Amino acid sequence: MAYSEKVVDHYQDPRNVGSFAKEEDGVGTGLVGAPECGDVMKLQIKVEGERIVDAKFKTFGCGSAIASSSLATEWVKGKTLDEAMEIRNTEIVEELSLPPVKIHCSVLAEDAIKAAIADYKSRAQP
Amino acid sequence: MLSSIPCEQCGAALQSRLFCFACSTLQHPPNTLGLYEALGLEESYSIDPPALESRFQQLVVELHPDFYTSADRREQHQSEISSALLNRAVETLRDPVSRANYLLPRLARGTPLDERRLPPGFLEEMFVLQESLDDLLDSGAPEAIGRTRTELQERHQTLLSDLPKHFRQAEAATEPEPLQALQTTLNAERYLRRLLERFPQS
Repeated sequence: MAYSEKVVDHYQDPRNVGSFAKEEDGVGTGLVGAPECGDVMKLQIKVEGERIVDAKFKTFGCGSAIASSSLATEWVKGKTLDEAMEIRNTEIVEELSLPPVKIHCSVLAEDAIKAAIADYKSRAQP
Repeated sequence: MLSSIPCEQCGAALQSRLFCFACSTLQHPPNTLGLYEALGLEESYSIDPPALESRFQQLVVELHPDFYTSADRREQHQSEISSALLNRAVETLRDPVSRANYLLPRLARGTPLDERRLPPGFLEEMFVLQESLDDLLDSGAPEAIGRTRTELQERHQTLLSDLPKHFRQAEAATEPEPLQALQTTLNAERYLRRLLERFPQS
């Protein structure tokens, strides 16, 4: 299967790879997995006020999973938490031209964003 | 339980739904035919590997499209379909993991299972292991790499060797818990396999 140019670009030059310390103030961590293929994805956000000011990811999986999470970190940066909650996997599919068998990779990235926001909120309001 | 479906041609009880060995006639089973039925084996996780292979050998020579080139179009077509099904059946049932993944949804029919569930803490552990493998594989230290691989292989092997026991429980059970336990185990298997795939082949 051939990857789209944008997938290859994110795969070869992933944006925002790395991690924040989980316990750091303002950090939310989302860890999600795709049992159908064994991929695991960690996406972290750093929040100031209501806005996501930085994001990092680390994904162990196929090129599409890496590209989906790389793109997700680009998209959440600068968005408010509510705006980031609105990101849909279908937008990732469209942007990266993912084929049907790789749609679950984009679902994983959407789940990771939501999990990171949920983690941030639960830590912000103990 | 094996059904005794009669041959379309001679009425003899079929061993395989694909071919009648009594009168050497190609059968025309419904396209919903299961993989075990195709081979004429009882649908159970525990199989007799030599029986699987010998049934495959018996059928593969009878069904091959090369033998139907002078037959009518319908028979040619049927031999292609049946050969493809036979190959899929033997490849799926031969392998303990693909056999398990084929059988579980059939056993679970009508029972809602959480298809994404993992053992508690498992995903976190897999992420940590994946990260530590990055460093380990970069280090190029053959002894440490070998040790880690052996540990993971043993863990994977233990999981596989527990499958027959899990299936015996699930096949006998009326409640959903053993089925869910199997689903969870098979989910974990994929993560362990992905870790093992990262090691250089030796």
